[in-house]
Amino acid sequence: MLKASALYIVIIIALVIGILCSSLIVAAYFYRNEYQKKFRYDRLQNNINSGVNILLATPDTAYSNGNTFSLYNDDEDSVSLKKIFWGIYDVGSSIAFAQKDTLYKTFSIGYNLDSAKWAALYLIDEDRPLSLSGKTSIIGDVYIPKAGVTTSYMDNKAYQGDQRLIIGAKKISKKTLPPLLAARLIQFHQFSQQTHNGDTSVSRKDSVVQSFLLPTKYVNFKKEAQNISNIKLIGNLILTSDTTITLDSTVIVKDIIVFAKSIKVKTGFHGNCQLFARDSISIDSNCRFAYPSCLGILRFGQPGLVPSQEQIFLGSKCSFAGIIFTYEKTESILKPTIALGRSVKIIGQVYSQGILTNIDTVEVDGSVFTSQFLYKSSNTLYKNYLVNLKLNAKGLSPYYLTGDLCPVAGQKKKVLQWLEAN
Amino acid sequence: MEVLIAMILIIAVFGIAMMIFTNVLNSSLSVKKIRAQAILQEILITVEKANNNNVSQSISVDDFRVDQEIKPYNGNAALIDIRLTALDQNQQKIAELEKVILNKND
Repeated sequence: MLKASALYIVIIIALVIGILCSSLIVAAYFYRNEYQKKFRYDRLQNNINSGVNILLATPDTAYSNGNTFSLYNDDEDSVSLKKIFWGIYDVGSSIAFAQKDTLYKTFSIGYNLDSAKWAALYLIDEDRPLSLSGKTSIIGDVYIPKAGVTTSYMDNKAYQGDQRLIIGAKKISKKTLPPLLAARLIQFHQFSQQTHNGDTSVSRKDSVVQSFLLPTKYVNFKKEAQNISNIKLIGNLILTSDTTITLDSTVIVKDIIVFAKSIKVKTGFHGNCQLFARDSISIDSNCRFAYPSCLGILRFGQPGLVPSQEQIFLGSKCSFAGIIFTYEKTESILKPTIALGRSVKIIGQVYSQGILTNIDTVEVDGSVFTSQFLYKSSNTLYKNYLVNLKLNAKGLSPYYLTGDLCPVAGQKKKVLQWLEAN
Repeated sequence: MEVLIAMILIIAVFGIAMMIFTNVLNSSLSVKKIRAQAILQEILITVEKANNNNVSQSISVDDFRVDQEIKPYNGNAALIDIRLTALDQNQQKIAELEKVILNKND
C-alpha cells in the first residue's frame, strides 16, 4: 500500500527537473562560449592572413618601422604589421588582435625565380672557351662566352659525359655578371656602418632565443675573437664582431645572422643561418647548412695597400642549401674566391663575382654565376675547366625561393618559411 | 489539500522547465549559421586559389545565396578586398566574412 505523499514526490521531481534545467543552461552557455571563441579565432585567422598578404604585396620600405591599423575601419579588425631586414631575406610579422585575443605569425619572405633570367650557368665572356672534362654534366640553359664549349683531356681524364655537352639552350654571356640588387647592398652597407649595442658575450649561457616579435637582439663581440660552443642560438639574433667568430659543431643555430671580419665553422656543424664576412668564411669538412642559409662576402670599403683576397671555402663533403655569394664594391687585384672542396653538394645558387675554384666531384642543384672557373690539379691551375662537376638547374625544388639580392629573383614575393605562430 | 499544492507545484515546475528549454533552444546557435560560415570559408579558399579572382558575383550554394564583392584594397593593385555575405531564402544576412587577398591578375 503506497502512502499518499504526493507533495514529497513532487518536490523530488521538481528537484530532478531543476537539475536537468540547470545542466541544460550550463551546456548551452559553454557551447555558445566555445562557438564564439571559434568564430573570433576564424576572424582573427582571416585578419592575420590578410596582414601576411599586405606585407607580401607592398614595397619593402613600408612597414619597416611597424604599423598598427584597422583593416576595414572596424573595431575588431586591428592588425599590427612589421617587416625587418634579415640578411638576404626580409622577415615579416603579422599580429591580429580583438579584445583579449591575439594571434601572430612571423615568416621570412623570398622571391620566386625569374624563368627568363634563370640559368644553370653564367660564365662571363673573357674570350676563353669553357672546357669540360671527366664526368661533368650540365643540365639547364647556360650563358657562356662566344668561344663556346669544348671537351678536353686533362689530369688523365677525358670527357665522359653527355655528347650534347650542355643539355639545354646555349646563350652568349656578357663581359660582366648580372649585378646584385643595389637596394639590398645598400641595406647591408648601412647595417655594417651602424653601431649595434647589446651584450658583448654569450658565455655562461646555454641558449639565447629571441622571438621575431621582439626587437632584434645583438651580441657584439667587438675586437675579441670568439669561439662559440655548447650553446643554442635561435631566432631574432645577430652576432657581430670586428675580428673572427668561430662556430663549433656543438652550437645549435637556427635563423640567426652573423656579421664578422672572418668566420670559421668547425667540422660536423649543422644548422640554418646566414654568415656574412668582410674577409673570409671557412667551413670545415662534413658541415651541413639547411635551407635557407647564406654565406656571403661583402666588402664595401677600398682595398688596403696590401690587399687581402676575400674567400669562401667549403671543406670536403659539406652540404649547403641556400645562396653563396661574393661582392666587393671596388675591384681589387686579388679577386674574391669561392673554393669548393671535394664532394661538396650545393642546393641553391652560387654567385661568385670573382673566381670559383672547384676541386673535384662537386654537385650543384641550382645555378652557378661566376666570372671565372679555376680548377686546381696537383700541380697546375686551369682556367675555365670543369672536371666532374654536376650542375643541374632542374634539380631545384619547384618551391625554391631566392633573395631579392640575386639577379635571377622574380617580382613576386612569397612566404619562404613560417618562423613563429600561435 | 496536499494533493492540490502538489499539482500546482508540478504544473509550475513543468511550465518553468518548458520555458527554459524553449529559451535555450531559441538562443542557441543555429546549424544554418554554422553551415553558412563553413560555406563562406570554402568559397574564400577557392577564390584565393583561382587565377581570375577579381570578379564580383552572386552564387547559390544549397539554400544560400552568396554575394561576392571584390574591390581594390587601399589603392594597391596587387591586393583585393573580398567580402562574402551569405543570405538565406528570406534575404536575411546569415554570415559574413572579409579578407584581403593577393590579386592573381596583377
